[in-house]
Amino acid sequence: MKDIMRVKCSISEDVETLINQQIKKEAHSSAIYLGMASWCARNGYEGAAAYFFKQADEERDHQMKFFKYVLDMGGNAVTPEISNIKQEYNSFREVFEEALEQEISVTQSIKNIAARCQKENDFLTLDFLNWFFKEQREEEIKARRAVELFDVIGEEGTGRWQIDKAVGAISYNSEA
Amino acid sequence: MQKTKELSLPVASFEEVFATKSGAIFQSDSEKCWYIDFAGKLARFDYRNLLKLKKAVYNINIEEKLLSSDKSADVEIIFICACDHSYVLSLLELIKLKEILQGTFVMLELNHIIHDRLFRIIA
Ligand SMILES: [Fe+2]
Ligand SMILES: [Fe+2]
Repeated sequence: MKDIMRVKCSISEDVETLINQQIKKEAHSSAIYLGMASWCARNGYEGAAAYFFKQADEERDHQMKFFKYVLDMGGNAVTPEISNIKQEYNSFREVFEEALEQEISVTQSIKNIAARCQKENDFLTLDFLNWFFKEQREEEIKARRAVELFDVIGEEGTGRWQIDKAVGAISYNSEA
Repeated sequence: MQKTKELSLPVASFEEVFATKSGAIFQSDSEKCWYIDFAGKLARFDYRNLLKLKKAVYNINIEEKLLSSDKSADVEIIFICACDHSYVLSLLELIKLKEILQGTFVMLELNHIIHDRLFRIIA
């Protein structure tokens, strides 16, 4: 009897389900960042708004990378439904604190997929995930740096105006 | 997983994947599909549709339906998009179909392991 299931699809159902959840998570991230961009723009933080618009685009790219991977492997990629996106924040600082939380939660959830892949010797997906781990390293470092600016520059006086200018300049270049 | 009767006629050959008293699922290697013998009919499912059927059946909360006391009829309609077949089943039949599907997917997984061990992985 032929192994039709394996011939048709290169990833397990569990891995497919986890990646579909990740697709939703990336789409959710993208929408959250768009909400943050909106809040920043409405409150006079143009630099931060531009920063979050760019983040929103990147999350969309991540979503598409996962989406195409599932299809490439013969699986079923599911278009996610996204709702309940936060539009209001209490402070400029809170926006960045939540952005960092969001990135941490994405990193943890990708680790969880990798743990599953390791269990079933799915080295193909593990290899695919490596790109995301590098990306998450950068994302967390940048998000953490943004929160740090609030302490380093301080919010008093023209502080927030300076922070708004400084977030756009945050960069991370790693040799490794 | 023994071969069902070998006929000299050029009919598609099936192999039984899993069977219970209430039904069975056969695999056709040549057609790369499965035939489900259940509820009085033999229905052909390709790879995508078999997975959709599995999802549809597994997603029904049978326990909740058994405990529910509302007066709606205890029939479930299993309709699969872009598939020629649908099932209208009582809860009891649904349980039986689920059992067949569960057994089938265990056997398919076992078949996968056997293929790996015998033909794919160099010992
Ligand atoms: Fe992302
Ligand atoms: Fe991100």
